[in-house]
Amino acid sequence: MMMSLFLAGSSLLSFNTGFAIWILISLIVFLGIMYKFALPPIIKGIEEREQSIQSSLDAAEKALREAEKISKDNEEVVREAERTAQSIRKEATKEVEEFRAERMEKAKEEAEKLIEDAKKSIDQEKQKALQELRKEVTDLTIEATTRLLQKNVDSETNRKLIDETINDLSKN
Amino acid sequence: MFRHVFVSQSLSPLKVAFVTLLVLFGSFGVGLSASATGVANASDADAAETEESSSPIDVMGKIADHDYIESPFGKVYLPRIFWVDGQFYTYSSTKKALTSGDFIEKEGVIYRADETPITIDLSITSHLVYVWLGFILALLISLWAASRYRRGIGRTSAPKGALHNIYEILYLFIRDDVIQGYIPKEKAPRYTPLLFSMFMAIAFMNLFGLLPWAATATADLTVTATLAFVTFIVTQASGTKTYWGHIFNFPGVPLLVKFILTPVEILGLFTKPLALCFRLFANMLSGKIMIISILGLIFIFTELFGATVGIGSSVIWVSLTAVLYGLKVFVALLQAYIFTLLSAVFIGGALEEHHHEEHDVEHDDVKVMDPINA
Repeated sequence: MMMSLFLAGSSLLSFNTGFAIWILISLIVFLGIMYKFALPPIIKGIEEREQSIQSSLDAAEKALREAEKISKDNEEVVREAERTAQSIRKEATKEVEEFRAERMEKAKEEAEKLIEDAKKSIDQEKQKALQELRKEVTDLTIEATTRLLQKNVDSETNRKLIDETINDLSKN
Repeated sequence: MFRHVFVSQSLSPLKVAFVTLLVLFGSFGVGLSASATGVANASDADAAETEESSSPIDVMGKIADHDYIESPFGKVYLPRIFWVDGQFYTYSSTKKALTSGDFIEKEGVIYRADETPITIDLSITSHLVYVWLGFILALLISLWAASRYRRGIGRTSAPKGALHNIYEILYLFIRDDVIQGYIPKEKAPRYTPLLFSMFMAIAFMNLFGLLPWAATATADLTVTATLAFVTFIVTQASGTKTYWGHIFNFPGVPLLVKFILTPVEILGLFTKPLALCFRLFANMLSGKIMIISILGLIFIFTELFGATVGIGSSVIWVSLTAVLYGLKVFVALLQAYIFTLLSAVFIGGALEEHHHEEHDVEHDDVKVMDPINA
């Protein structure tokens, strides 16, 4: 009944079938173009941009974390190097100390040895001199005795002889 | 000459009451609006020969569908296409159809010359033109935006320009807050193009109604009903097993209650899109009627109290109309948003996958016994 009206849409609450068919066809065409041509680049474009923003944010965060890690590593390395340097210095000081002590010890020993050697050689020389002296004294005594025995005139002569011998001895 | 044909020729008391009710909600000039429609109605009877209505304002004529579009340069008559008994008839205007002799007009209704009623009237009407304009504008802006995204603006860089930014704000708002808010996230991308297209088209159709000479396509029940029909079809097509289960065999409910619940649920299938359809229709129509009625007060006052009062009071009516126009801009976008939102809610409801334990009888018993939840 309604659709047979001259222009059914003119009454406020009526439903116009012909008009509805037109709208449906237009809507399908409209949605078709929107689906096929208009919306895909928009949807994809915005999605791409959102993804790129998200990925750059992620990358930035990752880079920040990496940088933090690297700086921490660097610190660790520096500290390690400092530790190593300190230990090397300590060791070196110790070695030097040891070396010096060793050298001192050696020098001392050598000096002592030298002194001992000198002492020994002095002793030897002294012994040698004493021996020689003893031999001389013996020789002189023998000579004096011989002379005494040969020219035993008086005691005065003897005393003179002995004195001469002693003088000779002291001269030597 | 043919004006009378388009003004509702059969205003039943029910329809008059409905219009009056709309006006009652819309403006405070109840009596005046009623008289305005009354005058428009009365003019139908005797305006058969006069082109100019005797009424100072013609509310029904402004909101009804026509076979011409009004432009700032005058009326442009639209082609008529009739489908009668399996035969197509096309004429460039109503006048041509009548002068051709194939069609006759009787009491405002067009019949074929042999008095066969028209089966389907496929004429291009003013509302259809504004539906097309809404679609075309939505398409043009979307295609423009698409070409920008294709060129890389907005894809690799930020969007440039006010229009592009507004477009993207609307898109992101519809996608993130409307669609993803009510449709499960993994299924949302399937419905984003449809709902965003609907939003754009409805918003432009609503906004076209703001032009003084233009018609609001969404203030036509046929348009909103067709749009709601699309939502209805999409909702039912995407219904999950759980959704249908909840309609025909509500889990966890005694058998006796099911006999009451199932018809209610089936009724609910249709009331939801119906509400969607009427909400948009009534909101857009009431805005239109409000503007016409309030501006019409100038002419009614002139007729009642003389030109001085009419012109003097026009300051009030014009400023009130200006305020209402601001409101209408807001309502135009708001109603497009609400239509999209409710469509998303209905589709989201149909997509829901409930875990059945939630509705188990024992589970419900536990809930009832819980003193906090009870």
